[in-house]
Amino acid sequence: MTDRDLWPRIEPLLERVERPARYIDREWGAAHDEAAGYRAVLLYPDCYEVGQANQAIGILYERLNALDDVAAERAFVPWVDMGDLMRAEGVPLFSLESCAPVAGFDLLGITLPYELTFTNICEALDLAGIPLRAAARDESHPLVIGGGPCAFNPEPVADFFDAILLGEGEDAVGEIVEAHRAAKSAGLPRAEWLAALSRVPGVYVPSLYRPQHDADGRLLGVETDSAPVPVAKRVVTSLSEHRAPTCPVVPFMDVVHDRYTIEVLRGCTRGCRFCQAGMIYRPVRERTPDEIVRDTLAGLKCTGYDEISLTSLSTADHSALEEILRRLSRRLAGSGVSISLPSLRVDAFSVEMARMIGSGKKSGLTFAPEAGTQRLRDVINKNVTEDDLVTTVQTAFGAGWRRVKLYFMIGLPTETDDDILGIAELVKKVLWTAREATPPAQRGSIRVGVSVSTFVPKSHTPFQFDAQLTPEEVARRQRLLREAMPRKGVDLHWHDNEVSFLEGALARGGRELSHVIEAAWRGGCRFDAWTERFSLARWLDAFAAVGIDPSQISNRERDEDEPLPWDHLTSGVSRRYLVRERERALAARVTPDCSFDGCTGCDACGDLNVDIVLAGERR
Amino acid sequence: MTPGEFRLRVCFAKGGRLRWLSHLELVRALERVVRRAGLPYAVTAGFSPHMKIAFGHALPVGTEGEHEYFDLWLTSYVRPDEALAALSAASPSDLEPSEAAYIGDRQPSLTAYLNVAVYRVVVGGEEELSVQSVDEALRTFVSAGELRIERKGKKAKVFDLSRSLREEPRVSVAKDGIEIAMSVRVGPDGSLRPEWLVRSALEQASIAVPRVHVTRVDTLVEVDGGVASRPM
Repeated sequence: MTDRDLWPRIEPLLERVERPARYIDREWGAAHDEAAGYRAVLLYPDCYEVGQANQAIGILYERLNALDDVAAERAFVPWVDMGDLMRAEGVPLFSLESCAPVAGFDLLGITLPYELTFTNICEALDLAGIPLRAAARDESHPLVIGGGPCAFNPEPVADFFDAILLGEGEDAVGEIVEAHRAAKSAGLPRAEWLAALSRVPGVYVPSLYRPQHDADGRLLGVETDSAPVPVAKRVVTSLSEHRAPTCPVVPFMDVVHDRYTIEVLRGCTRGCRFCQAGMIYRPVRERTPDEIVRDTLAGLKCTGYDEISLTSLSTADHSALEEILRRLSRRLAGSGVSISLPSLRVDAFSVEMARMIGSGKKSGLTFAPEAGTQRLRDVINKNVTEDDLVTTVQTAFGAGWRRVKLYFMIGLPTETDDDILGIAELVKKVLWTAREATPPAQRGSIRVGVSVSTFVPKSHTPFQFDAQLTPEEVARRQRLLREAMPRKGVDLHWHDNEVSFLEGALARGGRELSHVIEAAWRGGCRFDAWTERFSLARWLDAFAAVGIDPSQISNRERDEDEPLPWDHLTSGVSRRYLVRERERALAARVTPDCSFDGCTGCDACGDLNVDIVLAGERR
Repeated sequence: MTPGEFRLRVCFAKGGRLRWLSHLELVRALERVVRRAGLPYAVTAGFSPHMKIAFGHALPVGTEGEHEYFDLWLTSYVRPDEALAALSAASPSDLEPSEAAYIGDRQPSLTAYLNVAVYRVVVGGEEELSVQSVDEALRTFVSAGELRIERKGKKAKVFDLSRSLREEPRVSVAKDGIEIAMSVRVGPDGSLRPEWLVRSALEQASIAVPRVHVTRVDTLVEVDGGVASRPM
């Protein structure tokens, strides 16, 4: 590749933009290897402070740089001020480490974290000077490959990608690089690169699959000549095969999650029926306490962070959490290093664990009952009772906490106004319980944060067939809740119902949505995940221009045998299981967690040839 | 100061790309350097314990610093050369500790103590600038005696230049433009930013405002009699 250092052209722009530290590189832990024969750049489709702490990119960055003769660099989407200046000055999208044009790399990896980042994929490709559509690229362009949670229905962005990895990348990245490097160095045409990639397990090459529609435009299914169907996600058998990254990049800027994070376990089988993460990251695999303590201490030494976070989908479920926290507290005593737990179970044990490490003393503890009545919690399989919540709150306030934050959703399947009013009732009970458990003189400082999001049905979940509420109906239920909610001591927050509507359309749409996304971006949409940048009107213009009705995607219930845009992709969890879970949901019957009790037959372990890995017995 | 603690003063340079860091970003970066260096730093008592470390006057975003300082309290004695070596090894490129020495626990804080900043301002641009025109522009502006900085939504800042400047700015030819050397008094109520003075003076002389690259060469303490010296 031609190696051009763009820094002399970028630096003069920095005094004209906000937060220049986004663009300067030089962080501790950044990997510089300009001589490598194969060069990859990993892009997070948002600005630096949102993407830098992404754990998946951190893992892939380390894995790729460890490969022989391979270098990986980072790139982010320049904020609008910088993006506009770069266009005006003719400066292309650049990598941080070598400040080289992204278009000159062998591979461009883009993570797919959230539907509302999709227009930023267009923004990044365009700034890089890479054709938006894979079909328009030739051998001079990088291989553009995606991955991450939205890879499980990548159809809306599929035409922008040469290939998409389903599932975990630890082992797959090396195979992808090998397949690409071999095909490229043999002088093969781009079509042959893609054929080679489609033979890497877990890699989906969208151009080899053709969605078929009937005369009314309804999806019939997906055709392919020789590519595998279904494409099954990659999964690492045991987290012990790979150390957690111990020398990640340490940013200068105040970024989201600015701390040393250690992934203590992967996967969650609580089985909440609305939760896509709980379906697509199966099975549960725990790291051992020895590994966690070893990697955390090594990570702190290498990074100099003053905070660690034990991350996972449900950290309190780790079978050795108490031992891990005890050992870490002992090792970190007197260092000023704090430990935080990102998510807590609704039980006294979680509060006890938080108390042991003094976590969240100021910000408060966070719990997610998700729904206001027992009936609806049974529908969604959130195995939490009102008693659990009351006891937990009693323990927390009795132990000195004065703040809790509660997460709820509205718009869940079968929800009625009674369920909405149930949220307010539950919050009243929490307030009352908190007061009773707090000395009278301190009762004035009691705060209950209530955060209410709108349910968005996602692919590969039991609710993938369900209709999402219309924005108007969401607004009505929000008003209902606002009126019923106690005011004193409660901080109520909503998710914007228009954002949720768009998220729903993008989450379950098909290939045809790439035209909508491109039109929205051309109409000025970028950084849609930022409230101040979001405009539903611009998106609706784009849908209208392409001739697609977004409410047909968001607000329509599907038959259980209707072909879905992601049917040729599997997370290992079978459609049969999802349908059965949906039927149990409608009957308000709960399903236990297979990492505590027996197998519940989701088929992931059998389909993917893996098993649950626990460090002890769960309780 | 707690008995049994050792106050280590460290001189460092912040340059290259790191001139784009804000003061807060620099503070956080240096705290992480100290932790990576494995020094036995003292921790404050209280609800959220943190490292006992104190900094000098903030450097604005975009300004380099050649002799910047921080004080770090240690719980046990580490030889200054060893502490310096550990800090250097733990620093990202463009952030370079150059000196470390223990100082008395009764010394005033860096921000209370340091009262002079010496700057080097390099101006360059599309058009060729001459030493003479820049020098004249500055002389004219300085002799008028006052610099007024209007700020959005806030009261304007007014500097009495005969007080703010310790001496007349000196103009000379540099490798990549014209260099202006300046010595500025630093007070508790804000200090004159050299780029403000240079830009205002050039604008008033109708010289196209060029690229301005500011380096704080030194931060000094001036005692009675006008002699300024480094704080270590």
